[in-house]
Amino acid sequence: MSMLEQYGLLLGLIVGTVGFVLSLFVLARIVGKTRQEPGKDVPATAGQLSRDPVWVRYHARYYGYALLFLAFDMEMAYMYPWAVVYKQVGLVALLDMGVFLAILFLGLLYGWSQGALRRQ
Amino acid sequence: MTTVLLLLLLAVGAYLVAVLEDWTVSGRFRLTAPVLAGIALLGRESIVPRKPDRIFFEVAPFLLLISAILAAAVVPLTPDLIITDMATGALFINAALVYVLVALLMAGWGPDGAYAMIGGWRFLGQLIAYAMLIVMPITAVVMRAESLLTTQVVVSQAGVWNIIYQPLGFILFFIAAMALAFLPPFDLTTSKGELAGGVEAEYAGVRLAVFRLGRLALIITLAAATVIFYLGGWQGPLLPPWAWSTIKILAVTTIMLLAGRYMPRIREADLLAWCWMLGIPLALLNILLVGVLVLVFP
Repeated sequence: MSMLEQYGLLLGLIVGTVGFVLSLFVLARIVGKTRQEPGKDVPATAGQLSRDPVWVRYHARYYGYALLFLAFDMEMAYMYPWAVVYKQVGLVALLDMGVFLAILFLGLLYGWSQGALRRQ
Repeated sequence: MTTVLLLLLLAVGAYLVAVLEDWTVSGRFRLTAPVLAGIALLGRESIVPRKPDRIFFEVAPFLLLISAILAAAVVPLTPDLIITDMATGALFINAALVYVLVALLMAGWGPDGAYAMIGGWRFLGQLIAYAMLIVMPITAVVMRAESLLTTQVVVSQAGVWNIIYQPLGFILFFIAAMALAFLPPFDLTTSKGELAGGVEAEYAGVRLAVFRLGRLALIITLAAATVIFYLGGWQGPLLPPWAWSTIKILAVTTIMLLAGRYMPRIREADLLAWCWMLGIPLALLNILLVGVLVLVFP
């Protein structure tokens, strides 16, 4: 299969899955209908509407990790092509990436020492 | 043809996961229980909460199932039995599985319910913890295979399976895979006890059925991914390839389901601390060790 055909197949899988789920919805609709009754649509908060709005700003207490995560996630984008040619290039590749990873790891250690790795 | 067969196998696998999960929870082996539960869910009313973000609420179950199926598309059961052997297969599994996070966040935000919202945010914290432990061990696997083709990854393990070649990577990947599939002990995002089901809380009827189906497909896909990355895929003596794949995938699934039953649940804050202070240094060490091993024993 060519690349384009492969992606076409994956697109087909997505469309097929959506179709399958929609057919399940139709099946459920045939079995029975949802009746609109008062109080039924209250979210699961002990039967009462919550006092405060739910869609508020949420304190992401792990933001220190999240910033480090961004750095590491970008690094992984470089790691995959490197990993494929690693054996061909040999020791040079190990040293190149070793320096890169060492700097990144030092960054992790620095963040750790500054208290980034805790629930704030 | 292969595609249809593999999708059927995925459905059977998801069904077996449901049976096995029921067995690990209740101690009874009931082959019909998931069918009955599925019919019951289809028969129930599928209530929509009063002020939902309708698009997020409706799309989330679709997205969970789609991400599991797309990841399963690049997992080979035998050399020929694979939906599409992409040149970027090992990376594509990551790419597809990231949408699990998106689906769960949408399911958390969409219904405008407090418990669902907390469940969704918890999973975001969990992603920041486990994500690196999925991609870094896979990098080490790819270094040995010299290819992102998943079939090539399996072929590269002909002599020694990766579980022996890089045991550290296997342990990290296995734990991260459990966190990705929000299996116990990492199931606080859908916890029954204190969040009334977390992101599942506002779903009912057919929508909940699709959501749960997506989760089951995700578990079997991750078990299959573990098998092809670390347990030599279809390779093994005497029995035909498909039999080895089946045995290994079911064994890994059972271990995944059983392991969490005997551990306390882990909060996302603790998981973050463990993963970043211990897991990621170990994952980097694993890459270094495999790098040396690959050069010394080519």
